[in-house]
Amino acid sequence: MFSLNPQTRRMLRRFRAIRRGYVSFLILSALLIVSLIGELLVGSRAIIVSYQGQWHFPTYTAFHPGTDFGLDYSFETNYRELRDVFRAANEGDWVLMPPVPYNPFESHASGDVYKPEPPSLASRHYLGTDTTSRDILARLFYGTRIALFFSLAFMASVYLIGIAVGCAMGYFGGVFDLLFQRFIEIWSNVPFLYMVIIVFSVIPSTFSVPVRIFVLLAVMVLFSWTSMTYYMRTETYKEKAKDYTAAARVIGASTGRIIFRHILPNAISTLVTFMPFTVVAAIAAITALDFLGFGLPPPTPSLGELLRQGTATLRTAPWIVGAAFGTLVLLLTLVAFIGEAIRESFDPKKFTVYQ
Amino acid sequence: MNGPSSRADVALLAVNGLTVEFDTDEGVVRAVDGVTFDVKPGETLGIVGESGCGKSVTALSIMRLLPQPMGRIVGGEILFDGENLRQLPLAAMQRIRGARIGMVFQEPMTALNPVHTIGRQLAESLLLHEGLRPNDALRQSMDMLHRVGIPAPDVRMTEYPHQLSGGMRQRVVMAIALACKPDLLIADEPTTALDVTVQAQILALMRELQDDLGMAVVLITHDLGVIAETSDRAVVMYAGRIAEHGSVYDIFDRPAHPYTQGLLTSIPTLSTMRKSKLPVIEGMVPSLADLPQGCRFENRCAHRQPRCAEAPPERELVAGTHGVSCYRWRELTPSAAANP
Repeated sequence: MFSLNPQTRRMLRRFRAIRRGYVSFLILSALLIVSLIGELLVGSRAIIVSYQGQWHFPTYTAFHPGTDFGLDYSFETNYRELRDVFRAANEGDWVLMPPVPYNPFESHASGDVYKPEPPSLASRHYLGTDTTSRDILARLFYGTRIALFFSLAFMASVYLIGIAVGCAMGYFGGVFDLLFQRFIEIWSNVPFLYMVIIVFSVIPSTFSVPVRIFVLLAVMVLFSWTSMTYYMRTETYKEKAKDYTAAARVIGASTGRIIFRHILPNAISTLVTFMPFTVVAAIAAITALDFLGFGLPPPTPSLGELLRQGTATLRTAPWIVGAAFGTLVLLLTLVAFIGEAIRESFDPKKFTVYQ
Repeated sequence: MNGPSSRADVALLAVNGLTVEFDTDEGVVRAVDGVTFDVKPGETLGIVGESGCGKSVTALSIMRLLPQPMGRIVGGEILFDGENLRQLPLAAMQRIRGARIGMVFQEPMTALNPVHTIGRQLAESLLLHEGLRPNDALRQSMDMLHRVGIPAPDVRMTEYPHQLSGGMRQRVVMAIALACKPDLLIADEPTTALDVTVQAQILALMRELQDDLGMAVVLITHDLGVIAETSDRAVVMYAGRIAEHGSVYDIFDRPAHPYTQGLLTSIPTLSTMRKSKLPVIEGMVPSLADLPQGCRFENRCAHRQPRCAEAPPERELVAGTHGVSCYRWRELTPSAAANP
């Protein structure tokens, strides 16, 4: 019984026909999937360790102290050193490292001085290191992953709240609508940046990094959901007045059923076209906040933080800003292309214009 | 028209003194004022009147679907099978809607939800009221589609409203309304949006289904022809009040109210002389915000008297079930004496 609405199918077909957007969509999806298994590509833990005939896969397991592999320390194994040790011993043991064998947090200072190193194939720092000698490629990779998932989570929450509130305003109308509209007008005038600064100066820095990221997400969502309610409210008003809503009531459907089964699917299609642009805005916002130092808490890898380092060391280490800027442009362009393609495939005029 | 006499004469639906008000920019407007009628099981009652006379509002009031919060019922009672629908809690009302009272709207173009297949929309009321499993509901829906005369119902089940023609859609709308075999069907101008040929088909279908299922029908229309063709009894409404009611024979052969008479003479017939001027009822319907004190037809009536403007005439019985609200009906119905 489940099949796509022919109109939806036509939109999908048109979306696929817009090459630029479709290819961007494929690239971004691939990027998202790759970033989910990113530890296998970028990380300081080995993919496979063959030690005394036994295979270990340390990427996603609990950490192995160095003694596990015959080393003389009980903290986490340094697999890059382990590889050198195995090679020197030449007893048939081996280590398979990810293509980029560094994690975004460790410092690789060659002496006692933290100093950005230029890109080099020999040291496997393909994009060089940053001002605290961390691998830039690793930081970019994980920074992008966090930015993408952060903005997806942001979009999901904003839409969830915006749709729920907007739909309720449109459906119940009357005093409820009036009061909520006034509340939203006031609420959307609260300066968001100040709120972020205030909130982060209040919460103690002892909070763990994931908690702080979550707080940032919550604050951002709290001040961004309002824009969605406008569209949803008018759409709901429009759909509510149509006969099929009355028809649904006539056959005895409850309020919840009418909202979720009859009004929402009709009202929601306009919002789909906004989604990619919401993601773009979220990525830009989080990067800007990081750039200013109010975003993701250190040492979380982030594009904005790299940009800040890069602009500070523009002359001495131009590769930092180049890498961060390039990634940001690529990312935003991809999402914008997808958004443009979605918007165009939803354009109803395409079907009515005679050519 | 053989139904009602053979059935129990207890009313299935009795509307007593229904009064409905709306809040508008011009103040409170009384759209329906003291409307009283009843519907017996299995019979067809036609409600006829021009736009804005309150016939649709009456139908919506029965279903408790008045636009909120502007509209409200301020007086009267709506007895359905002995229960006052006005006082029923919402949940109980939702059990009656669709299951015991079905409703068909005027616009088949908008009465179907564009994002769901025909099958899903048909099955919805069965799922809601009969507690069927989805597969049984779908099978039963398909039977219903077949019954309303849609060819290849299995194909249509998976199609979307925009893929059907207007007449087809109205058939689907009717199938949805009748899916749970209601006791009463309220049809609000079910054929107004359709071509004349399709109109006749839909009306014939409605009669056929009515005979099959033994339900009563309240047919709302502005088309006297439709009433003549389908109804057992008719109610003529004017500006929120009932002008005249009776069997279709009473209404068409022995109209007692000047408004009904005017309506009937303004229907063109084949015997009307060509290029002659069609008789019209002079004047305009009074605005609901500014109704006259007395008889509402007073300003357009050719037979008005001073007392018509003072107080509204009470309902008087002409004969049997034929009633009229006019002071002068005795003088104005010469045939009343001739055909008792």
